[in-house]
Amino acid sequence: MRRVQSGDMDAFEEIIRRFRTKVFRVIRSHVRDPEDAMEVLQDTFLKVYTARRSWDGRFSFSGWLYRIAINASIDRYRRSDRLKTTSLEGSLESHLEHSSTTPPASEPLVGVADGERRRLLERAVRRLPERQREVVSLRYFGEMSLEEIAAVLSCPLGTVKSNLHKAVMNLKNLLLRGEGVLGYD
Amino acid sequence: MTSCDAVRELLVLHAEGALDAAEGRRVAEHLAACADCRAEADRIGIVRGWLADSNLFEPVQDLTWELLPGKIAARARLPVETKPRWSVLRMPRWASGMAVVLILASGLIWTLRRPAPLPPAIPSAAAAPGNEAFLSKVRTAHARRAADLYLTACRGLLIDLVSSEKKCEGDLYDVSLEVARARQLLQQKRLLDSDLRVSEIERAKGLCDDLEQFLVNVSASQECESRDAVESMERYIEKEQLLLRINLLQSGVS
Repeated sequence: MRRVQSGDMDAFEEIIRRFRTKVFRVIRSHVRDPEDAMEVLQDTFLKVYTARRSWDGRFSFSGWLYRIAINASIDRYRRSDRLKTTSLEGSLESHLEHSSTTPPASEPLVGVADGERRRLLERAVRRLPERQREVVSLRYFGEMSLEEIAAVLSCPLGTVKSNLHKAVMNLKNLLLRGEGVLGYD
Repeated sequence: MTSCDAVRELLVLHAEGALDAAEGRRVAEHLAACADCRAEADRIGIVRGWLADSNLFEPVQDLTWELLPGKIAARARLPVETKPRWSVLRMPRWASGMAVVLILASGLIWTLRRPAPLPPAIPSAAAAPGNEAFLSKVRTAHARRAADLYLTACRGLLIDLVSSEKKCEGDLYDVSLEVARARQLLQQKRLLDSDLRVSEIERAKGLCDDLEQFLVNVSASQECESRDAVESMERYIEKEQLLLRINLLQSGVS
C-alpha cells in the first residue's frame, strides 16, 4: 500500500488482483445484482485510490478496504435492493416464524444440487439482518478473524460473537428445518 | 452439569475456536455425553461448511474479470471529471448492438438525404472575442461560487466532526450525521469537478481534492465510532490544516 500511496499503478493493480475476489464476495453478500456488485467493486477500488494518502495504518489495509466496500454495498443495497423487496429483515423473520410451523418435508435443501444449494444459501445470507450479514461476510468471505471484524465494524468483540452466533443459527433454522434433514435422524 | 440450552448458545463459537479454554472444555465434555447437542453441533458444522464453500458468491471468471485490474487502474489514472459515471459493463449486449445499428442506419440516411452544401457560415455571436471573454468571466464566477458553497459545507462537517458527542452505547461517539453528510459531499464533489477545471481557482481545486480524500474515510466510518477513531480524524484535520486552509482560501474565493 505504501507503493500505491506514492502513485505506483503497478502496485495498485497488484492490490486489486490480490483482493478482488474476496471483496467481490463480501459485496455480493449485500448486493443482489452481479452487475451492480461489479460496479460497487470498481467504485470501492477507485475510492481506495482516491483516498490512498489518507490511509494512516489505523486499520489493517484489508480492514480499511472492507470497510469502504461494505459501506458502498450498504449504500447500494439501500438505494436499489431494498426498494425491490419489501423489508428483507422482516421477510426473514416471517419466514422463520412460518418455518417453525411447517413440516420439515418442505425443506428446501434436501437433495438439491450444489449450484441450487448455493443459490438458496446466497439468498438466505442476504436475508440476514444487516449487522449479522456484515459479520458473516467478513468472517467467511473476507476471511477475517473475529478481532479484525470488531476493529472494522468499530464494535466490541462480544457484539461480533453474538452476531455471528445469531447469523449461523438463523441460517441453520432457515436452511435445515427440523431433524432428518441430510440424513441426520 | 451444563444445561443443553447453555451449551447450544456456545456451539457456534466453539466451532469457531472462539471460546476460552475453560468454556471450550465444558462444551466438549457436554458434547461427549449428549447426543442431541452433538446432532445440533453437526448441523451447525454443515452450515459452516456451506458458508466456507469458495464458490459461494464467486465472480464469473471471464475476460471482463481478467481485465478488471487494468480497467480500474486506467480509470483511477483519469482526471476525476472524465471518469464515466456508469460502467460500460452495465450496457446489455442488445443495447450496444442496437446502438451500432442505429449509428450505421443514421449514417446511411444522412448520406442519401444530404442537402446541398450550405454557404459559408456566418461567425456566431458567441464566438466573438468580446463574448468569449464575458463567458469566461461568468464561468469563473460560477466556479468560485460553487467551490465556496462546497467549502462552506465541508467546514461545517469538519467542525461538527471534531465536536461530536458520546451518544452511542459503550462510550462511542455518534457520527452518523457526519457520515451521511460526507457521502452527500462526495457526490456533490463529483458534480463540482467540471466547474473546478477553471484555472483561476486552482488552489480551491487542490483543497477540494484533499477534502475528498478525507471525506472518503469519513464516509467509510461507522455511525458510532470509538474515541481513538474520532481523535484520529481530528489529528488528520489538524495535520492537513483543513479548517485553516478553507478559511484562508474562502477569504480569497468569496
